[in-house]
Amino acid sequence: MKELSLHILDITTNSINAGANKIEIKVEIDTNENYFRINIKDNGKGISKNIQQQVMNPFYTTRKIRNVGLGIPLLKAAAEQCEGFLKIQSVENVGTEVIAEFKNSHIDRAPLGKIEESILTILNFNEKFDLIYIHDVNGKRFVFDTREIKEILGEVDIKTPKILMWIKEYIRENIDKI
Amino acid sequence: MNIKNMIEKLELDEVTNLSNDIEFENVYIGDLLSVVMSNAKENSIWITIQTHLNIVAVADLIDIAGIIIVEDMEVDKDTIEKANELEIPILTTDKSAYEIACGIYKLEN
Repeated sequence: MKELSLHILDITTNSINAGANKIEIKVEIDTNENYFRINIKDNGKGISKNIQQQVMNPFYTTRKIRNVGLGIPLLKAAAEQCEGFLKIQSVENVGTEVIAEFKNSHIDRAPLGKIEESILTILNFNEKFDLIYIHDVNGKRFVFDTREIKEILGEVDIKTPKILMWIKEYIRENIDKI
Repeated sequence: MNIKNMIEKLELDEVTNLSNDIEFENVYIGDLLSVVMSNAKENSIWITIQTHLNIVAVADLIDIAGIIIVEDMEVDKDTIEKANELEIPILTTDKSAYEIACGIYKLEN
């Protein structure tokens, strides 16, 4: 995909479909160690051992309407093309963690892109869940946590258009500041 | 145009073992699979440098007529097996995407 933020959106959708109510997305960029790492961790229903290998295969999907599922395979191929890897750690009924690592300076590594747009799309899903986004560049961190936002908002719905627009700008501004 | 006919005229190598008696209506060139997925039309010949199993999944998803892998890229074994199973011809060449596209254009006109 043109932007890694679209991969993040895709993988996070799997977490929501797995019934997660807490999702943590971490983007870590280290220019000294030269890696760009994406880590998506959820507390969804998890993936059984024998299916963990199958999800790497593009012909595996839980959907019934078509026989192709490309979320994980596309991210895996993108990472491997940039001298990186993709790893899945999952325990049934506990949760799943997807780690994709790229060589940061690799010429084919797509830019992160508009991560704030991906987060907004995720927040707009109907299911109830908390989302934590951590953006770390060489140890300098920005943390966005919907639990904190919800506490401030009280009765006000996080999906109110004005709030969402504010969140989008807030995330962008803070990432740009790092 | 017929794939079998194109293989002969453009001297393409077959890595799948299929009859190739398939008519295609269009040509699409692209290496970013997500972009191919949203833009390539069905019954197209798809020209790419990608060789991963994912190309067969994309081709299956959008009903691609056949894939031409250019620039002398070596095709993964899994890719060939699955393409045979789904009857999607994969052809290879040492030429560039541009040269192959021009070749197909000349055949059509």
